[in-house]
Amino acid sequence: MTAEAPTEVVAAPVPEPQPAPPPQRRSRTDLYLAGGLAAVVLVVLAWNITGFPTVTDDEGTYLAQAWAVQHGQGLAHYTYWYDHPPLAWIQLAGLAWAPALLAPDLLAVAAGRIAMLPVAAAALVLVYVISRRLRLSRWAAALALLTFGLSPLAVTMNRQIYLDSFAVAWMLGALALALSPRRHLWHYAAAGAATAVSVLSKETMLLTAPAVLVAMWQSAAKTATRPWAFGGYASGIVLVGAFYPLYALLRGELFPGAGHVSLIGAWQFQLLSRSGSGTVFDDGSGSHSLITSWLYYDTVILVAGLVATVVALAVRRLRAPALAAIVLAVVALRPGGYLPAMYVVQILPFFAIVIAGVIDEGARRLRPQRIWWRWAVLGVAAAAALTMVLPRWYVGDRRALTADDNAPYVAAATYLREELPSRESTTIVVDDVLWLDCVNAGYRREKVIWFYKLDLDTAVAATLPDGWRDVDYIVSTPALRQDPGSLPTVAKLLTNSTAIATFGPGDGRIEIRQVDKEKP
Amino acid sequence: MMVVSLVLAGFAAVTLWWTMHAWRTPETLASTRFAAPDGAHRLTFSLLVPARHEQAVLEHTVGRLLESTHEGFEIIVIVGHDDPETAEVAHRVAATAPGRILVVTDVNEQKNKPRALNTALPYCRGDVVGVFDAEDQVHPRLLEHVDHAFRATSADVVQGGVQLINFHSNWYSLHNCLEYFFWFRSRLHLHARKGFIPLGGNTVFVRTDVLRAANGWDGTCLAEDCDLGVRLSSRGAKVVVAYDSAIVTREETPGTLTSLLKQRTRWNQGFLQVYRKGEWRRLPGFGQRMLARYTLTQPFLQAFSGVVIPVGVGVAIWARLPVLVALITFVPVIPMAANLVFQVVGLRDFGLQYGLRTRWHHYARLVLGAFPYALVLAVAALRAVWREYTGRRNWELTAHTGAHLINLPAPAESGVAT
Repeated sequence: MTAEAPTEVVAAPVPEPQPAPPPQRRSRTDLYLAGGLAAVVLVVLAWNITGFPTVTDDEGTYLAQAWAVQHGQGLAHYTYWYDHPPLAWIQLAGLAWAPALLAPDLLAVAAGRIAMLPVAAAALVLVYVISRRLRLSRWAAALALLTFGLSPLAVTMNRQIYLDSFAVAWMLGALALALSPRRHLWHYAAAGAATAVSVLSKETMLLTAPAVLVAMWQSAAKTATRPWAFGGYASGIVLVGAFYPLYALLRGELFPGAGHVSLIGAWQFQLLSRSGSGTVFDDGSGSHSLITSWLYYDTVILVAGLVATVVALAVRRLRAPALAAIVLAVVALRPGGYLPAMYVVQILPFFAIVIAGVIDEGARRLRPQRIWWRWAVLGVAAAAALTMVLPRWYVGDRRALTADDNAPYVAAATYLREELPSRESTTIVVDDVLWLDCVNAGYRREKVIWFYKLDLDTAVAATLPDGWRDVDYIVSTPALRQDPGSLPTVAKLLTNSTAIATFGPGDGRIEIRQVDKEKP
Repeated sequence: MMVVSLVLAGFAAVTLWWTMHAWRTPETLASTRFAAPDGAHRLTFSLLVPARHEQAVLEHTVGRLLESTHEGFEIIVIVGHDDPETAEVAHRVAATAPGRILVVTDVNEQKNKPRALNTALPYCRGDVVGVFDAEDQVHPRLLEHVDHAFRATSADVVQGGVQLINFHSNWYSLHNCLEYFFWFRSRLHLHARKGFIPLGGNTVFVRTDVLRAANGWDGTCLAEDCDLGVRLSSRGAKVVVAYDSAIVTREETPGTLTSLLKQRTRWNQGFLQVYRKGEWRRLPGFGQRMLARYTLTQPFLQAFSGVVIPVGVGVAIWARLPVLVALITFVPVIPMAANLVFQVVGLRDFGLQYGLRTRWHHYARLVLGAFPYALVLAVAALRAVWREYTGRRNWELTAHTGAHLINLPAPAESGVAT
């Protein structure tokens, strides 16, 4: 009897013992290298994060929505109309307590950017991890991290509060999981869940999901578990993703109908009715000027990224990130589509990975070993690249570290907080950036009104029985003045008001204007 | 409602995690295969085939066993003294292979499978006792594989695979087949790894000395196979599970829904008996004891959640609950639906491994039949609980359930004389 025999863990021996894949566990070196470089990049990102770049309306919108989530006021402080899936600002709400604690006196949006630093840190480390899992050399993975971290365009975009930053971090996570060397079923299921979270953070990230599938397909090649891996991925993405339409369904807002917003109605609007921003190849179009502005910040990462993407499509191990990059690029360059200002955030990490990947591939193909002239070729190429890139990046990054572009906003916020009387009872119309500052300064939340809600949201109009005459102040900013024709109430407020304080010069000026209620 | 939802979600997630054990990584999948035999025949087998009113299939089954490529085995057919038809077939078959086949008559008043097996145990001459049911289709090369598995792993118990094949027969057979597939292909391996295993009813091989030292089977237990596994596990026996679709023992699903219900009720009640018997408390590890507790009560939890989760979802949609609460009631649907996705993949894999064509309507049936099947399982679980607590154990009520003694010696006859 075997009563005293120890219980053993037994598995029947394998017919033809498949060699276990070599342990690809990241050694300590990778940990220190990725951690150290990410820390350096984070310092660059954090330094002067409030001063550059100029705060934008979108940042204010997302932060205000995160504020609404934090304060239990639903998914937005106005009626949530399914314009974007809400997961990114729900996450932002989870992070935004930190800036409020660290820097309560700063401009709300500028301080809110501090909450983006953990997101950037995650994306940086994931770029490194993905690069290593694509079998890039250590130096190449470091190069990918630094390219993604220090490109002036990336520094600018990664500082700002964009939904895309959350989405891209999750999609990078999904890609890293899909490339997991252990090929564990649950890693694939988690990759599916991460993909769903990414898409629920920013719907356009769905474009890059095929890259994750390619990565899985390649990673699970020649294993008997591949169908299961895809089953796991499908479960993850569908079951987590289904919670969004489910939320709409439970609120009775899935299908369009009279008197309420709806998810499907919002999709119809965004896919069918949204006007395009013109084609990139047309000099006067919105898309053209947007891409010009990206190129102004950094030509290197965009041009090199595009070239490297085309090359990388031919290299098997680089195909997944190259696919993500090419899909995003083609969508951006398609004629007649709508191109949002922060779109480039999504493409940058993939560009960084393929650039480093192609350089790594080139260096491997050249196989320098002991042949001196090959080393010379490599040296010359590296030196040329560095002389091309470094001066440009130095100029761009120095600007990011020193410029103070938000002084007018800071001054206006201070004025609103300290100079205007009887804030409790004042009705004030502002842009999205200053909304949260006003609420924090003691204005009643219902009486601080986003300017475009005056004309577009009937619920807001209903709170003003006397129309524009119920408004006491309007803060005129570039964003508010951008499109006067389409917002009649705003136009009327601007004409029937006088500036009592002005900050900043020329077109970028911010005016606090008192409404002249006696005017006809 | 939220707490119930989260508990159910946790339960469903754990079950899913364990069900998918074999497919976690390519390496775990590779480790679940039978080792290729080295061709040596070192061990001798006593194959027990209890048969009761199974004169129709017995001859075929024994005939298949005789085709075994292994040299050292004997077949012991056990028939009841009140079942002359089966006995007649048994003796006739025995006459065709004298010396190979022994017919043992079970004279117990109350007839059941464990008692029949215990009746035959004293006659076993082989190193290893194997159990088959009278309707099993056993692969000729199985014994060679088992022989090798015993020697290669120095195991005390080897559990081979059993698979229901007729997934196309009716709506529930599909689910029944897949249950077997996931159980033998995947879940049992996890149990073998963790050192706690409820054995299957057939294609199970135990070293004769180990079996005798454990006093054979429990004649009062409705799930004697599960009970034996638990007892051997708690004594530290080394159990190996090996699965190979090529040499798996093939069976058929119960012919009617009623018989499925009865069979499942018996198993569930058996699990409950094993749980109440408490042998599993002697398992050395805390984790093992928790696994035992969980596994033995799983049929009931599963039946409960299989019905409660969909009902909860229906309530959440129609009862206008607060949105957050309603969303949380949907959380257990995640593992449940993921399980269904994996069943779809499993059906494809099952079809490929057994060379069976799976068509789109099979997949449709799989998805549509999931809830009705859950209802059947729930009914079986309720019946089992009810029968156990009203004392209906279908044969004598013994107070000393822990006793598992060998029954009185029964008269044996050699296969030659009829």
